[in-house]
Amino acid sequence: MNEMMERDIFGFSSTNSIPINADLGWRDWSPGINWDDFTGADDFHGQIDSMMTAAVDLHDWYTCVSPTSTNCPGSPAEDLIPSSDDTAVRLVHLLKAAAESLSGDLKTPALTEAILARLRELLLARTTSTGMERLATHFTNALHSLLDAAGDVEEPLQQPCEFLRAFLLMQDMSPCIKFGHFTANQAILESVAGERRVHIVDFDIAEGVQWASLMQALVSINNGSPPPHLKITAVARYRRSVQETGGRLADFAASVGLPFSFGQCRTDYDGQFRPAGIKVVRGEALVFNCILQPGSAGGSLSFISGAAALGARVVTIVDEESEGVGFEGRFMEEMMRYSAIWDALDAGFEKQGREREMVERVFLGPRIAAAVERAYKGMEAWENLEKRLEAAEFGRMGLSFFNICQARLLLCLFSEGYRLEEGTNKLVLCWKSCRLISASVWSAPPLLSPEESYLSS
Amino acid sequence: MFSSKKPTMNSHERPPMCVQGDSGLVLTTDPKPRLRWTVELHDRFVDAVAQLGGPDKATPKTIMRVMGVKGLTLYHLKSHLQKFRLGKQPHKEFNDHSKDALDMQRNAASSSGIMSRTAMNNDRNVQITEALRMQKEVQRRLHEQLEVQKHLQMRIEAQGKYMQSILEKAYQSLAGEGAMIATGSYKDLQNQATMNQLGAMAFPSLQDLHLFNNDQLEISPQLDRPLEDFFPSNEIALCLGKKRPNPYSYSNGKSPLIWSDELKLQEFGSHEENLKNNIDHEHLQIAPSIINGGMEMESMADVYEAKPVLSVDSNGEKYEGSSKVGRPSSAPRRATVSTPERMSPMIRGGGLGQTRNLSYA
Repeated sequence: MNEMMERDIFGFSSTNSIPINADLGWRDWSPGINWDDFTGADDFHGQIDSMMTAAVDLHDWYTCVSPTSTNCPGSPAEDLIPSSDDTAVRLVHLLKAAAESLSGDLKTPALTEAILARLRELLLARTTSTGMERLATHFTNALHSLLDAAGDVEEPLQQPCEFLRAFLLMQDMSPCIKFGHFTANQAILESVAGERRVHIVDFDIAEGVQWASLMQALVSINNGSPPPHLKITAVARYRRSVQETGGRLADFAASVGLPFSFGQCRTDYDGQFRPAGIKVVRGEALVFNCILQPGSAGGSLSFISGAAALGARVVTIVDEESEGVGFEGRFMEEMMRYSAIWDALDAGFEKQGREREMVERVFLGPRIAAAVERAYKGMEAWENLEKRLEAAEFGRMGLSFFNICQARLLLCLFSEGYRLEEGTNKLVLCWKSCRLISASVWSAPPLLSPEESYLSS
Repeated sequence: MFSSKKPTMNSHERPPMCVQGDSGLVLTTDPKPRLRWTVELHDRFVDAVAQLGGPDKATPKTIMRVMGVKGLTLYHLKSHLQKFRLGKQPHKEFNDHSKDALDMQRNAASSSGIMSRTAMNNDRNVQITEALRMQKEVQRRLHEQLEVQKHLQMRIEAQGKYMQSILEKAYQSLAGEGAMIATGSYKDLQNQATMNQLGAMAFPSLQDLHLFNNDQLEISPQLDRPLEDFFPSNEIALCLGKKRPNPYSYSNGKSPLIWSDELKLQEFGSHEENLKNNIDHEHLQIAPSIINGGMEMESMADVYEAKPVLSVDSNGEKYEGSSKVGRPSSAPRRATVSTPERMSPMIRGGGLGQTRNLSYA
């Protein structure tokens, strides 16, 4: 053990020719795992970080894009069998360049195609695939989908319960999902304490997993007095799956002894939410819950407006923070985010293996594609949600000691690299220094007269 | 009253047979010399960390450089830094308080030689009262934290139960349909090899339920009472997957996941090296065993089958998933991710001519 530490003092590991972010501290933490055993750069999040700041000069570019160019320092054969480090650098540069070619006013899809072709060459030339390469594959495919927007409605061959299984696995492997759910739930619990009726309006109910733990908490926290009546209204385009989710939630509520009812509020033809569709009963505490994911439908702004219009008691929002400007900026941000997620998964689990493969293919891959698409369209919902809330005078509700403590304890169950960032009214889950997901709590602005109560978007 | 609480940063509890080395470090005279984190050394450490921008930015290597203490190795710093970082968690205040209390006691003791008797006594009384008050505060906080822990456990368990129920229902409805899909039924979780046999068509859903129950009964004897005290979620069940010996569990007969006890110990600041290693071990491996090398999906099946037996929800009622069999499900449901897998033609080599199969090694 000491020898390994000694080696770290004197230099970087020999397999690395890339200057990695100086934050090597975390490598020292893992007992018993010799990081040098793994090929290539492990912390490719840090790698990407440092590469992003490196200039992509034109010469490199041509080298990358056309191996037959005379500027190429190595022979084409050499190009096709690079060391893993070189590949990683090339991949990132190529992806960055591809994103760049699609951003700004002068989009050049032809160039993007060329870059993507080169990327595919590099990726397919490898006989083994490292995490970095798989990640790059997903992003390459995502970019390809952007170009191919018209075609490709082919439904993939997916085993029917695969998504559920992948989702379940993902929950076990990463705290992201639970973090959002539990933080939001605790905030809701605190704000509706003592109420007889609770009405939650949920933006994207998905499988309804979030509410299972809330139901359990409602039943157990009231020790003595009977639990409140819980009503959940799911906002969605009409989908049978939502009804099924409602049925399952009803079953679960019955099993824990919670009075429960479920409703659905259909969005407009254009996906907008109309508060009139919510039936509000006198004396009930109204809660708006909004878990945003890359694949979420639009209309979240209308949802927020509706919350203000109806005077919701608390609005909980879980979202992926985004500060990038322009497609390229946001694209690289997503690369950082997902490389951090990759790192996080690697830290706790095997890098290969069927389960990991399935999670990547079924859960993370589509999510990356959706994230890239969202970055490309610059969907209104994603940009500056926090600023919009502020502008609309939503109040920031601080998080309690219980909530923060709960989040910390949750993170203790997973790899040590997860950190928590605390804001006035939000918690941000980070992997090392990369922000992954944030949970924030707001209160609707005081109700105005009907004419003024609709936000202008 | 202070005997049970130790200053946060002591890395061991051996009786202090110490020698002072040339470098000024205090080492014990055990066969394996251990570094003793004296107050002075710790202060230097804290200064160094502050210089480097806080415990999150500092690394053992940089701290070592800044501190410039001979004989101090990365290994020492690594463990000390980790404790320091953990100490910055909610129970940091507790540790600080207990540390303060002890400091005060130490000060009181050291000043006894200078001050007069009565003055010393009065001061000491005041200081002890103060320390007592802080200890009460510490305990109150700890109690709160334990509450949080308890609730978190129940919530994770509830979520797990729910997830399992939807998984079950999905498989049941598959079976009920007599699915024409290659995966077949729920039974296939247990044996990938028979995947192509389209078990779904052969077995009516009721029979599937029987299989389900049988497996439950198989598993339950292996899990005895103590399990309910532990963290009865996916993680625990996974570690106890019956078909595979879990390399990470039961190092000393304890469940791999008594994190509640260990966190308690952290709070009190007493940190055996072993214990800390256990925590590291577990933190890294926490929901790990599903990904043992070459592990079959069957273990996961056992897990999900086992859960209804184990879990008793907070009301003491066993949760039973209602078996609504035969509800026909629509096309593969992907609830949250609406984008279809457009990438799949590329990965699987369908459709587009220019792509080939990308394989995961």
